[in-house]
Amino acid sequence: MAVLVDKNTKIMVQGITGTQASFHIQRAIKYGTNIVAGVVPNKKEDTHLGVPVFNTVKEAKEKTKATASLIFVPAKSAKAAILEAIDAKLDLIVVITSGIPVSDMMEIRHELTKTKTILIGPNTPGIITPDESYMGIFPDNIHKSGNIGIISRSSTLTYEVVLELNKAGFGESTVVGLGDDFIIGTGFIDIIKKFNADKNTKAIVLVGGIGGNYELETAHVYAEMTKEKPVIALMIEDPTSLSINFGLAPDILCRGITTPQEKKKLLESSGMIVVDNLSDLTKCLSQL
Amino acid sequence: MNIYEYQAKKIFKNFGISIPAGMIAYTPMEAKAAALKVSPDGPWIIKAQIQAGARRNGKFLDKRAGKQGGIRLVRNIDDVAKNADEMLENTLVTRQTDAKGRLVSRVYIEEYVKATKKFYLGIVSDRISASAMLLIMPLEENDDEDILDKSIENTENVLKINLGLHKTITNAVLQKAIDFMKYAGDVASLKSFFNKALKIFYANDATMLEINPVGIQKNGRIWALDAKIMFDDNALYRHNDILKLSDEVGIDERESTASKYGFQYKELDNGIGIITNGSGLALNIINEAQKQNLETACFLNLKGGVDRDKIAASIRLIMTNPTVDGIFINILGGFSRCNLIADGIIAVANDLGLNIPLVARFEGTNKEEAINILQSSGLPLKIAPDTYTGLTMLKEAIEEDL
Repeated sequence: MAVLVDKNTKIMVQGITGTQASFHIQRAIKYGTNIVAGVVPNKKEDTHLGVPVFNTVKEAKEKTKATASLIFVPAKSAKAAILEAIDAKLDLIVVITSGIPVSDMMEIRHELTKTKTILIGPNTPGIITPDESYMGIFPDNIHKSGNIGIISRSSTLTYEVVLELNKAGFGESTVVGLGDDFIIGTGFIDIIKKFNADKNTKAIVLVGGIGGNYELETAHVYAEMTKEKPVIALMIEDPTSLSINFGLAPDILCRGITTPQEKKKLLESSGMIVVDNLSDLTKCLSQL
Repeated sequence: MNIYEYQAKKIFKNFGISIPAGMIAYTPMEAKAAALKVSPDGPWIIKAQIQAGARRNGKFLDKRAGKQGGIRLVRNIDDVAKNADEMLENTLVTRQTDAKGRLVSRVYIEEYVKATKKFYLGIVSDRISASAMLLIMPLEENDDEDILDKSIENTENVLKINLGLHKTITNAVLQKAIDFMKYAGDVASLKSFFNKALKIFYANDATMLEINPVGIQKNGRIWALDAKIMFDDNALYRHNDILKLSDEVGIDERESTASKYGFQYKELDNGIGIITNGSGLALNIINEAQKQNLETACFLNLKGGVDRDKIAASIRLIMTNPTVDGIFINILGGFSRCNLIADGIIAVANDLGLNIPLVARFEGTNKEEAINILQSSGLPLKIAPDTYTGLTMLKEAIEEDL
């Protein structure tokens, strides 16, 4: 069992012929990921890395029954690619691309409200279910199958969390990188619900990010939820000034709660266990 | 990207929003001349230009500026040059800067517009709802930013309206604003003011636009007495005119080099220099270092897509920071490939020589290849298996080096 992605998930890749995409997809296929199609508008080749290439998402979906799309398209054309995938009513879209304008993401999120499609990212390492499948750019050699579900807003810190968990003898059911862009497709709560419904996940680790009101919103919603599985949130302290807002408006949206310390208190009061370093995280998991 | 108040006001003016007459000055003499031009008899407002807010209650580091902050009302022409002199080439620390503050390289001299009513207006991209939010807070005549700080915690003081995909003010939104502010002036002028502000926000891919305060005169005219715009860096490619406003005054040479490469670079104290790929990762290393009594001089976040040239540039940059006594390179490669990073380290070491201890730690894509490359290079650097050990190794190496 896993959430969002497993070895049976049929995946298409938009922008499969790019250098970065080719490098990572080759590794993903070797890992066992079920990559069934590539999509490149005005394609020049019919297959790439042994996978059939189509001009459109719709065609790829019809011909291969793919239900998910992994997007590697450059930022300037990402909006069109994402909207095409939403329009094709796929179950899942994972956007690796970084640097997508905020106003483009606003439009995309608006379109998403009309569908059941789940969008993960942008600017995410993706989703990995160890030993089965991954949609993204993970270092595939560090993950271990297990029963901890990880949801993270910080990209590379997630790898560090995984390494520490594995060293302590744990493994992951699925790791979901939400992405650390200004506006992302899916927040913590939706994935907490998925992990709650996943039999194989025994505990959930939430890795917070710097800036923004996602953790606040999460705390408010989580406080009202039935607590099904232990949720441990990692909020790394900020000894720098990365969390200072350069205006009053972001402070108003955050109700003045901006530093990791302030976020910690709020998450704690919502019913989560909160830690600020990796060794406390593994200690905490061992005591569950 | 941030710009200065006077640059933002120029944009406001182009979009038809009323702003007080004002001129920028780089010296006290210029300030006096500017004052006489914008308003022959005064009074004037002298405003320190830094790319951060909360200036009125800010503190200048050099005591010659006295206790007053970065926004001052001046009634006597002889005091204009004096106040400008106190602010210029001085450093202003506010709630929105870090403790190092920002250097004031220019002041904005403005005619004083007496407003009978004031309110705070913010338009900001909200992450949760993925839409623009309109924020309004009525102000008392003498309200300053401190009072505003206290009032944001009480959400009832601020009107927040989700604008959805509307790019102009609907009548329903306008009515809410009018009721909330108890606005008794001309409705059409207020609507037009809001719409102009929204147009600026959307047309320029801003993520935040603030006017703190908007001033309403006795005759009903509505003014932007302040202006702040923050632009979406990811959308700057569609706004060449905005890019031209980018000004790196107040940013030191190393920070400016870093931004050219697309790095995130921040100087803190004396100690080690950290090169890593991710800001969360950087914070984790700084915290772990602190536990081992290692202070951090600076950290550099390479961000994604690290290659040989980028890593070489980052090491060069860190080495030009004289406060750095050891380098910790900690790369967790997913998108980035470790072998290319190892190549970059070797290129710099051969070029500049390694005169301070360097410990590298890799994990992820092509890790073994990277370790092999570095081990067979014969360079005096160490390879660590994890963050904790890496920092211990660096600490020992620095102590030996002293």
